Amino acid sequence: MGRGGKKGTVTPHEQNPSTRPKRGFKTGKRRKMKKKKKKTELEELKKEVVLDDHKLTLEELSAKYSVDLTMGLSPGGAQEILKRDGPNTLTPPPTTSKWAKFCKQLFGGFSILLWIGAILCFLAYGIQLHYKEESTKDNLYLGIVLAVVVIVTGCFSYYQEAKSSKIMESFKNMVPQQALVIRGGEKMQIKVEEVVVGDLVEVKGGDRIPADLRLISSQGCKVDNSSLTGESEPQFRSPEFTHESPLETRNICFFSTNCVEGTARGVVIATGDSTVMGRIASLTSGLVAGKTPIAAEIEHFIHLITAVAVSLGVSFFGLSLILGYGWLEAVIFLIGIIVANVPEGLLATVTVCLTLTAKRMARKNCLVKNLEAVETLGSTSTICSDKTGTLTQNRMTVAHMWFDKTIYKADTSEEQTGKTFAKGSPTWFMLARIAGLCNRAVFKARQETLPIAKRATTGDASESALLKFIEQSYSSVKEMRERNPKVAEIPFNSTNKYQMSIHLQDNSSQTHVLMMKGAPERILEFCSTYLLKGVEYPMDDEMRKAFQNAYMELGGLGERVLGFCFLNLPGTFSKGFEFNTDEINFPMDNLCFVGLISMIDPPRAAVPDAVGKCRSAGIKVIMVTGDHPITAKAIAKGVGIISEGNETAEDMAARLQVPISQINTREAKVCVVHGSDLKDMTSEQLDEILKNHTEIVFARTSPQQKLIIVEGCQRQGAVVAVTGDGVNDSPALKKADIGIAMGISGSDVSKQAADMILLDDNFASIVTGVEEGRLIFDNLKKSIAYTLTSNIPEITPFLLFIILSIPLPLGTIAILCIDLGTDMVPAISLAYESAESDIMKRAPRNPKSDNLVNHRLIGMAYGQIGMIQALAGFFTYFVILAENGFKPMDLLGIRLKWEDRFFNDLEDSYGQQWTYEQRKVVEFTCHTAFFISIVVVQWADLIICKTRRNSVFQQGMNNKILIFGIMEETFLAAFLSYAPGMDLALRMYPLKLLWWFCATPYSALIFIYDEVRKFIIRRHPGGWLERETYY
Amino acid sequence: MTKKEKKTLNQSLAEWKLFIYNPTTGEFLGRTAKSWGLVFLFYLVFYGFLAALFSFTMWAMLQTLNDEVPKYRDQIPSPGLMVFPKPLTALDYTFTVSDPESYQGYVEDLRKFLKPYDLEEQKNLTACPDRALFEQKGPVYSACQFPLALLEACSGVEDPEFGYSRGNPCVLVKMNRIIGLKPQGEPRIECISKSENTAALSTYPPNGVIDLKYFPYYGKKLHVSYLQPLVAVQVSFNATSSTVNEVIVECKIDGSPNLKNQDDRDKFLGRVMFKVTAHA
Repeated sequence: MGRGGKKGTVTPHEQNPSTRPKRGFKTGKRRKMKKKKKKTELEELKKEVVLDDHKLTLEELSAKYSVDLTMGLSPGGAQEILKRDGPNTLTPPPTTSKWAKFCKQLFGGFSILLWIGAILCFLAYGIQLHYKEESTKDNLYLGIVLAVVVIVTGCFSYYQEAKSSKIMESFKNMVPQQALVIRGGEKMQIKVEEVVVGDLVEVKGGDRIPADLRLISSQGCKVDNSSLTGESEPQFRSPEFTHESPLETRNICFFSTNCVEGTARGVVIATGDSTVMGRIASLTSGLVAGKTPIAAEIEHFIHLITAVAVSLGVSFFGLSLILGYGWLEAVIFLIGIIVANVPEGLLATVTVCLTLTAKRMARKNCLVKNLEAVETLGSTSTICSDKTGTLTQNRMTVAHMWFDKTIYKADTSEEQTGKTFAKGSPTWFMLARIAGLCNRAVFKARQETLPIAKRATTGDASESALLKFIEQSYSSVKEMRERNPKVAEIPFNSTNKYQMSIHLQDNSSQTHVLMMKGAPERILEFCSTYLLKGVEYPMDDEMRKAFQNAYMELGGLGERVLGFCFLNLPGTFSKGFEFNTDEINFPMDNLCFVGLISMIDPPRAAVPDAVGKCRSAGIKVIMVTGDHPITAKAIAKGVGIISEGNETAEDMAARLQVPISQINTREAKVCVVHGSDLKDMTSEQLDEILKNHTEIVFARTSPQQKLIIVEGCQRQGAVVAVTGDGVNDSPALKKADIGIAMGISGSDVSKQAADMILLDDNFASIVTGVEEGRLIFDNLKKSIAYTLTSNIPEITPFLLFIILSIPLPLGTIAILCIDLGTDMVPAISLAYESAESDIMKRAPRNPKSDNLVNHRLIGMAYGQIGMIQALAGFFTYFVILAENGFKPMDLLGIRLKWEDRFFNDLEDSYGQQWTYEQRKVVEFTCHTAFFISIVVVQWADLIICKTRRNSVFQQGMNNKILIFGIMEETFLAAFLSYAPGMDLALRMYPLKLLWWFCATPYSALIFIYDEVRKFIIRRHPGGWLERETYY
Repeated sequence: MTKKEKKTLNQSLAEWKLFIYNPTTGEFLGRTAKSWGLVFLFYLVFYGFLAALFSFTMWAMLQTLNDEVPKYRDQIPSPGLMVFPKPLTALDYTFTVSDPESYQGYVEDLRKFLKPYDLEEQKNLTACPDRALFEQKGPVYSACQFPLALLEACSGVEDPEFGYSRGNPCVLVKMNRIIGLKPQGEPRIECISKSENTAALSTYPPNGVIDLKYFPYYGKKLHVSYLQPLVAVQVSFNATSSTVNEVIVECKIDGSPNLKNQDDRDKFLGRVMFKVTAHA
C-alpha cells in the first residue's frame, strides 16, 4: 500500500511489466502461483486507476513511450513491444465448460443428498447380494430411482438455466477488428491485437477505440463512453489536459469505447488487460460470486435432515442389535432408515417451484439467469441502484423553462401527456423558434407513426431533448426549418460554450435573424436587452438577479440549463449576404435575452412508487452513480431515495447557519458521498456511513468504488442487490448477491455479470421480483413442510417392522409412489399459493435466523402432523389384516415366519392357513392401503400447509392448481390401486371401498389440530406455541 | 469464507461444548430446563392424546370383528398344500440313515403333530359319514374322527421312527385349513416322484384320498379339536446300496374342480414340491 502519495492506487504500468510476461510465457509456473497471486491481484484491481499520461506534455509523452509523434514506432520496435506485452486482447473470463455446469447441477446442493442415498442403497443391495442367496431387489430399485431422479432433475435445471443464460461472449465482440496505426511514418491497417503501447493510432467517427489513447491532435472528436462510465452523452475529446482524473480529462480515449464523430490521433498508453476496460473486465471475471441465500438455506436443510436421518438410523441400529438382529441385518436397517429419510421428491419440487417463479417473473420482465437467484431478491435488504437508465429514463427531457421571469414546468413523464404552460406568450414563441432552429438534431427517417418522445434522433442529448420538446409543444420543427433556412452557423464547442446560427426571417423578407443558445452565463454576456411578454427591455440589475435566481434554482434541481437569445440583424445583412463564421463579419453583441430551458434525464414514472414500496418492505435503497452529486441528489429526491424533509449534514449546516463541523453527522439521515471522498475512506469509515445513514447517495463513483460499496453493505450482513447497465457496473453486479442488469440499455458485459435481467429496464420490476422472491420463500417453506410430513408415515412402518417384528406395513415401491407420484403435484401447487399477508409490508428476512427449514418446521412435520399420519396408516394396516384374519396381537413377532417363503401353512387368528404368496398379497394390499391412507391424510396436510398463520377459512381455496393437485393425487392413487396389471407391475392391489375411509378421522384430526394451533398462534402472538411451532 | 477458515478445531469444540451445556444460561442443547420441560410436556400430552385416539379407533375396529369368522375370506379362495414336518431350510429333507440324530427332529415333530390323532384323543369326536360334506348348523360344532390307521405304515404305530431309520421316510401332506371351504368332486392328493427309477412312492390312505367329511371347517373357535385330514407319502428308494439317495417329490390336489393346483405366482397353491436326501 501507500506508495508515496498514491495511497491505494496502482497505475497500470506499475503492475504491468511484472505480470504481463508471465502471462505469456510461464503459464506453468504461473498456475502454481495463481492462487496466492490471484488474491493480491484482485485487491490491486480494486484500487483506483491512476494514469498520469494525461498530464504529460507531448514531449514528455514522446519521451516516455520513446515514440516519434509524427512517424510513430518503428515496425521492429513495435514487434519487440508486442513480444514483451503480448497481444492487445482481453484475457477471456474463465468460462466454466458446459460439462462443469452440468456437473454442478448434478452434484451441487440438494443432489448430493440423493446421491449419497443412492450409493447407500447400492451398498445395502451389495451386502444383501453377497451374504444372502436370495434378496429383495428393493434396495437396487430404490438406488436406481434415486439416481434417475437426480439426473433428470439435474438435466431439467441445466436446461432451464442454459435457456435463460445464453452467455454473451461480449468482451471478444467489443474488441475492434482493425486499427489504423502509423509506424515508421507510414499509415497501416493492422489487427487490433497487434497494437502495442506507444503506437500512434488514428481514429475516426464510427471506429472503436483500439486501446487506451492519449490524444495528440483531434478534429471535432466525440466519443461515447457510456459502456465505461454510464454517461450516455457523447463527450468531446481533444489533446488538452482538462481534469486531474484520467476518466474525466478530455485527452484520453478508452479502449473499446466508440468514436462517434470527428477524427483524432493519439499514442497508445495501455493495451489489453491493463487498459481501464481490461482492468474492469479482469476485476469482474476475477470476482467469485458468493453462495445464493437459497443455496445456503438448502445446505442448512441438508444438515438438519442428515442429522435427523443419521441419529434415527444409529439409534435403531443400536436397538436392532439389542433386539438380537445380526450385524448385517442391523447395517441394512441402518442404511434403510437413513435412505428412507431422504425426501426423494423434494429436489424436483424445489426445482419446479423455482422454475415456475422464474417463468412468472420472466412474464413480468425479470429474466432470471440463475434459478437460485429467484429467491435472492426476496431476501434482499439493500439495493444499490445505478441512476442512469434504471431510475431515470436515460433520455434528456426538457423539464423547466424560464421566461417572462417565471419558471414553467414541462411534462417529463414517459407518456408526455397533460401539463400545459403559458403558450400564449410571445416570449415562448421566440424561445421555441430559437430552440427549434438553433439546433442540429434531426429525427431519423420513417418514424412518423411513433410518438414523438420515442422517436430516434441524431445529435446530442440536449439538442434532441429540445427538438422533441418543440415538436411536441410548438410545431413541426422540420417545417420551421424549411421556412427559415439556415445560412450560417457556429457549432457548439467547449471553449465557446455557445452555439449560433443565422436564419432567414420568417415572412420571406430579406432580413436575417441571429439565434444563439449556450451556457446561460455566456449567453447573458452577449445580451444587452431582454424580452418580456414580447417586448424588449434594456437589461437591468433586477433582471440579472432574477436570472441568477432562476439559474441557481434550476441548476439546484440537478438540471442542465441552457440560455437562449437572438438578434434581428439589420437590413444591411440582406438575403445573399455572405456570413463568414471564421472572421466574423456581422454583429454578435447586444443580443436580446429570451429565456432559459433546463433539461434533465427524468426519473421513470414508476420509480418513486417502487422505491416507496421497497422502503415499506424494509429494503434500503442506495443510489450509486457515476453522475454529479447535484444531479444525483436531485434525482434521489425525485424518486424518493432521499425522502421529503430529510437532509444531509451539509443541508443542516446551511439551515442552521453553523459550520459543518458542528453538525453531528449521525443526526443526518441523508448522506451524499462523492467518489473522491470515498477514495480516501477506510473501510471502517465506509461502514460507519452505511450504518448511520438510512438514505445514501454515492456520486461520481468509479467501477472499483461501486464494488467497494457493495462489499461494505455485505459486511453489514445485508443481502445486496445491485442494478446497473454499464461495463462500469459489472464488477459490482458480479459481487452482489444478486446483480440485476438492464435488458434494453444494458451492455452485454453487465448482462453477463448479472444474475437477473430487467427486460424493460424498469426499476419497478425489481419490486415485482422482491415480491415474487419473498412469496416463493414462504411457499417453499410450505411445500417442504408438506413434503417432509409424509416422511414419518414412510419411515415408521420400517421402524416398527424392526422393533415389533410385524409384517412390513409399507414397502419401498409404495413410498416411491408417494414421494415421486402423489405428493409431487400438490407440493408444487403450493408454489401458486397467494401470500397470507402483505409480504411487502414486512422487513426482509434475516438470513441468519430466519431459515427456510428450521427445527420448528421439522418438529411440526415430523413430530406432530407426521405422527398423526403414521397412526392413520397403521390403523388402516391393522384393519386390513384383522379383517382378513390376522388380529393385531397375533401379528407381534410373526415376522420370521411371515417372511419365510417355505412356511406355507401360516395360521391366522381364526385357524386358517396361508401360503406365503397368499399372505404376501394381503401384505401388499396393506401397502396399497397404507399408501392410500397417506394420500388421504395428505389432503388435510395440503390444506393446512396453505397457511402458516391464517386460518384456511381466511385464506380461501382459490388456488386452483392446489385443488387440481388434490384431485390428481386421488386419481393417481386410485389408478395405482385399481388399474389392471398393477399387481404385477408395482404390486399394488385393489382396495375395498371402506378401507379408503379408515384414515379419514385422522385426516380430520390433522385439520382440526392445525386450525386450533393457528388460532392460538393468532390469539397469542409471540406466545409459547408460536415460538415452538410457527415455522 | 475467511471467517470459517479461521475457526480452529478447539474453537468449534468449545462451541459444541457450550451448545451441549451452557453454564451461564443453564441451557442444555440450546434450551433451558424449563423450556425442555415445556416441550416435553407438550409432546407428552400430544402423544398421550394420539395414543388414546389410536387405541379407541383400534378398539372400535375390533368390536366390528366377528370372533368366529374373519370378515373377508376372499384372499384365500383355494387352499395351499404343505408338508410336515417342515425342514429348517427350504423343503429339503436331509438325513443319514445310520445316524438317528440327523432325523430325530423330524420324528419328534411328527410324533408331536400326530398326538391329537391318537385314538385316546379322538374318542370324543364324531364318526361322520364318509364321502359327503359334513355341514353343521351349530351352535355346537363337532369334529370328525381321523383314524390314524389310515396312514398305515406312516401312522407311527408300527414304526415309531416313521421309516426314517430304514431309509424310507414318511412325509405328511396336508391341505391348508380354510373356513367354509367345500371341495367339489373327490379330492385326493397325488404325488409323483420326479425320478421314477430312484424312488417309489406310496401314499396312505390309498390314492391319497381326502374324505369330504372333513369339510367344511368352521374356524378355531367353533370347530374345537378339528382334525385336519392327512395324507402320508412314503419314499422308498430302489437302490439301497448307494450312499446317497435323492428324490424330488411333487404333490398336487387332484380330482376337485374348485381346488386350484396351478398358479404361476403361488407355487404352493394346491401343490407342493419337496426333496428327500437320504445318506446311507
